[in-house]
Amino acid sequence: MRLNSVGQIALVAAAIAYLLGVYFASSPVWMGFTINALIVAVIALSWNITGGFGGLSSFGHAAMYGTGAYASAILQVKFGLNAWIGFGAGILAGAAMGAFIGALAFRYGLRGSYFALVTLAFAEVLRICASSFEFTGGGSGLQLTLAPGIGNLQINDRTVVYTALLIVVAAVMALTALIKFSRFGAYLIAVRENEDAARALGIDTYKIKVQAMAISGAFGGLAGVLYLQLWLFIDSTVVYGSAVSVEALIGPIIGGAGTVWGPLLGTLGLHLLGEGAKHLLPNAPGLNFVLYAIVLICALRFLPQGLVGLAGRVGPFKKKENDNA
Amino acid sequence: MTFKIDRRDLLKASGAIAATLAAPSILRAQAATVKVGVIEPLTGNLAYNGTQSAAGAKFAADAINAAGGIKSMGGAKIELVVVDAQSRPEAAASAVDTLVQAGACAFTGATASALGLASSQAAAKHNLAQVFSIGTAETIVQRGLPNVFRFTPGVNKCTSVALTNLKLLNEGSGNSVKTAAIVHEDGPFGSNMAKIMKEELPKQGIEVVETISHPTPQRDFSNIALRVKASKADILIPSNYLNEYTLMARALNQQRVELKAIYSILGGAASNIKFVRENQEVAQYVMDCNHWYDPTKEESKALAAKVADAKLDLTYDIMVSYATIQVIADALERAASDDRQKMIEALAASTFDGSIMPYGPTKFVNGDNVNSQPVNTQIRGDKIELVFPKEYASAEAVFPIPAKN
Repeated sequence: MRLNSVGQIALVAAAIAYLLGVYFASSPVWMGFTINALIVAVIALSWNITGGFGGLSSFGHAAMYGTGAYASAILQVKFGLNAWIGFGAGILAGAAMGAFIGALAFRYGLRGSYFALVTLAFAEVLRICASSFEFTGGGSGLQLTLAPGIGNLQINDRTVVYTALLIVVAAVMALTALIKFSRFGAYLIAVRENEDAARALGIDTYKIKVQAMAISGAFGGLAGVLYLQLWLFIDSTVVYGSAVSVEALIGPIIGGAGTVWGPLLGTLGLHLLGEGAKHLLPNAPGLNFVLYAIVLICALRFLPQGLVGLAGRVGPFKKKENDNA
Repeated sequence: MTFKIDRRDLLKASGAIAATLAAPSILRAQAATVKVGVIEPLTGNLAYNGTQSAAGAKFAADAINAAGGIKSMGGAKIELVVVDAQSRPEAAASAVDTLVQAGACAFTGATASALGLASSQAAAKHNLAQVFSIGTAETIVQRGLPNVFRFTPGVNKCTSVALTNLKLLNEGSGNSVKTAAIVHEDGPFGSNMAKIMKEELPKQGIEVVETISHPTPQRDFSNIALRVKASKADILIPSNYLNEYTLMARALNQQRVELKAIYSILGGAASNIKFVRENQEVAQYVMDCNHWYDPTKEESKALAAKVADAKLDLTYDIMVSYATIQVIADALERAASDDRQKMIEALAASTFDGSIMPYGPTKFVNGDNVNSQPVNTQIRGDKIELVFPKEYASAEAVFPIPAKN
């Protein structure tokens, strides 16, 4: 989580100032919007583990997100289990789904665009299955019983929800930093840079990649469970839809894939842009999506390392050092 | 230099100051507005329906304002706060925050059950009433939320009324329909509807001879049309969305499938004037059981004229959204306040019978309007006519379809 330039420090400070400023803004709109952005940030951080550090770009992170949400919802709705059990089970289910997809895809040596397509296919198959089977609520989806209380993981106080989400995002980022600077993280980055060379050096690349998918899946499942507990309703399109997979990868790409702060910064930046466009031009619904597209194209063209990479060029502390934000 | 102020001067000055200070509030009272929210999907896959609904709400607000606004509040004008639900539940829930911040006293929305479930739940935390325009899922009114008011019928009532009306129509034609084919999309809406039909039609003496499911989207309906033709079914019961419905109807026409009736429930296109306009021949005599206004009312006719002037399609989205704003306006009139709690109480006690819908006086039981009802429509020429129930009908039902030869 090292910051290597004045620009990166300023960028991170701005994000922290915004997140703390929400407490004092006394605006339900900004609070609500930031709550949504933080949940998206969790799945963006999930994508960052495989896509950012491992170079395993997935187009189907909705598979893990949706599996986490559905596992928790089924346990609560169909089996009457407590929400906290569902919460844990959702994270485990997400991890299991990630490991399963990874094990299957990497077993056959899929990488690059083939891996991306397989993950997309998994998410789509799961979406169709979830809309077809009765135990997943079919097309009607699953609705949790409204029973506010910490015992049911349903919190009415928005400030408490916001604080809890800030803690969750901070925890996921801390884990991301821990992974990045661990031996496992080094192996994963080695796989990204040159998988054959990594294997030649004795790294079990298959195992590393499957483990990365499991960790990423756990974070994805966590994001799904958070969504479920916040809105108490899911259906196949909402949690397995391709929009989720796109949101998962767009934040890290804009913010800086393979960095700790990038997914959060990218997600917040994009959401702020969209929300700002909505407020400035209230009679032009959909303009935020146009802005999304323009920013994404510009980022891909001019910012290969995202916002963190751009900020790294402003007042660097040392020359010739990689971005570590 | 000394100033002497006597009692008379002091009174005059006080009066002048009081008048000056009071002036803005008097001005405010004259130009008072009351904010009513509209949460609709203006973007995303439900954008067409959402935009239509938002337009319906605007027509209603304009009509109410032109008639003098909310009289119990000194003629306060209704100001709509329209927020995009983006066809996503979390966006619909977030939209509630915007309404609360804007000071809305109640809101209408949100076209799809998933969106309405999320928005009403978020609104419950703010004690903000939601009058559902369309939300057919029964779970909407099964959560015990005091801020939920579903004005239009749910899926159970729509299905039950549709089957009853089909039975009446069939009996009226000497039970000419004996066999049925069901074509449904494989999502929840189509699958659930097909399941109900397969269970209920045999009880009416109609045998289901073919059931065909297809995904959404589906573009080639030739094989499906041929299977329907081969089944020799008398009636086709489709459950699919706008595009698939349109393509299916065209394929049936191309393959010259002779049917005695096409009868849908909450049909994707059968009550959509766009389908009628673009598929004149194919659409003829298609029947639907859906939300629709009472075409005999003067206000309905005025709405139809305004919609035509605005070059919009007259769809049920516009009608129900218009009606829900009428319901909210009536509650405002009785509450004489834009206080959220008072609005919930006024809506809960609503006996409003002046809406454009063919309903009895509004009566919310657990948030569900028990006096709402769907109606049967039939495409005739370039119009969608209401054919059932008789008291609201604008045309006689044609059942079965006259043979083409």
